[in-house]
Amino acid sequence: MLFDEIMEQLELRVGSTVELIFPRNRRRIYVDVPPERSLNVNRIVFEILGGRLATATGKDTPDRIEVLYHYCFDASGIVVTVRTWAKKPDCKLDSVATIFPGALFIEREIQDILGVCFVNHPDPRRLILADDWPEGVYPLRRDFSARKARKETPEFLREYTREVTSP
Amino acid sequence: MKRTVIPVGPFHPIQEEPEFFQLTVEGEKVVDVDVRLSYNHRGIEKLCQDLTYDQIPFLLARICGICSASHPMAFCQACEDLCGVEVPERGLYLRSIICELERIHSHMLWVGLAGHFIGYNTVFMWAWRYREPVLDLLEKLIGNRNNYENFCVGGCRRDIGQEHLPEIKKAMNDLQGPVEMLTKAVLDDPVLKVRLGGIGALSEEKARDWCVTGPTARSSNLKIDVRYNEPYAAYDRIDWQVQYLPDGDVFSKAVIRLLETMESIKIIRQCVDQVEPGDIRAEVREMPPGEGIGHAEAPRGETFHYVCSDGTNYPIRYKVRAPTYVNLPSFKSSVVGQELADAMLVVAAMDPCYSCTERVAVVRHRRGNHKEVIDKNTLLKMSWDKTEKIRKNV
Repeated sequence: MLFDEIMEQLELRVGSTVELIFPRNRRRIYVDVPPERSLNVNRIVFEILGGRLATATGKDTPDRIEVLYHYCFDASGIVVTVRTWAKKPDCKLDSVATIFPGALFIEREIQDILGVCFVNHPDPRRLILADDWPEGVYPLRRDFSARKARKETPEFLREYTREVTSP
Repeated sequence: MKRTVIPVGPFHPIQEEPEFFQLTVEGEKVVDVDVRLSYNHRGIEKLCQDLTYDQIPFLLARICGICSASHPMAFCQACEDLCGVEVPERGLYLRSIICELERIHSHMLWVGLAGHFIGYNTVFMWAWRYREPVLDLLEKLIGNRNNYENFCVGGCRRDIGQEHLPEIKKAMNDLQGPVEMLTKAVLDDPVLKVRLGGIGALSEEKARDWCVTGPTARSSNLKIDVRYNEPYAAYDRIDWQVQYLPDGDVFSKAVIRLLETMESIKIIRQCVDQVEPGDIRAEVREMPPGEGIGHAEAPRGETFHYVCSDGTNYPIRYKVRAPTYVNLPSFKSSVVGQELADAMLVVAAMDPCYSCTERVAVVRHRRGNHKEVIDKNTLLKMSWDKTEKIRKNV
């Protein structure tokens, strides 16, 4: 699909449900969707428009955690980014992995490092954190501090933040 | 039938990298698989948030020893997308040359290893013998056999001297014969065709669902190649074709890599012919606030980078997605129904790269829960025995 075609299809199919469709340039389109309608927009972009999920990015901001699903349209080299968010403090978002398995790993990763809870995720085990990492500590949040975490869970993180002393 | 759980890992017995596969088998047939990654995270995304845009490419070159051109390449493109800077013509050609040399040495490495896994040690020796001149050439051009560090936002750091261009061309001419010979040997070999044909097939529909990229996708009939779809560097100025095959099995994955090596040789030769003296780097004064996305075709598939800037010298969020991260989960579709002796071959066929995939946080897995683990020699022996059996029958 070419740029104009993608823009037209996006306007037609999701235009009424999204907050904003913003073409940054001829190759990058950003779509802002509120969390309650994100699942449907992702479904349309993947199944009907035929995008390929390149990856998703989690981004911590003061009052919410943004999740950006990047879809590549390979025939024209355009990347459509569906931006949605999970409101703090409960950080709940519908899981896209229920539609296609390509989102399984990345959602598990975002869950581990940013603490977004993906509702109905088929396989919500940990992916990148160790089994003995404490619950509720998310290393990529802006307020993560190894020192603070160490105080709260001393026996565990002391190992990871061991001070190096000269012999 | 009785089901047995076979743990492979957490250190890959054949490829010698850290990951864990839990295979459930009925007799010899694999019926289920569970993949566990992340035994060796290095926290590169977090580290990048404390580095300036000029420092990041050096760290990114260290994500992976094999794709050490692709990651900085994707990062630079993300930044160029963000600040809208145009790279000078010569810079684009130099980028293409280095990326293609990298692709050749990566594919040759894979062909050699694949040969070793199935008991074709001659292929292993030949492929690695011809890979060596490519690495020597890279050392001559950039100063390093790996970790090239030649890209920066806006272009390239170091120029390739005009006097080196005939040398590149000569190396490519020398390489063409052996690669043609290897391709022909693989295509004509009856044992290889029986041994690798039909195993680990990933259908086109499944490939789409798992969102795979690179040679894994192209061997499943998907024409996905960033160099072609969204031409970066100098790829739109050069005459070349995307190679893709319909079957999706291990044999196709081997053939596609050899065909791509041929294309790479073609691309480098044209680049050397077309490149003209000039600037290699555009000046980047500041990074405006906003978001940038860049992707590049690494030897293993698409590398995808996302940069979010707030106008300062440091990115506020930086995301790396390596090709193996999307290719590896598709293992679940391609391995179920295969024999145990083929399982590791199917993983090897997608050329997973764990050092690329694991970068997000520092973790250490607690030892314990020891089970019986199949070691390297047993797995290799299983694979070699099967090849031997087929060879006797053909």
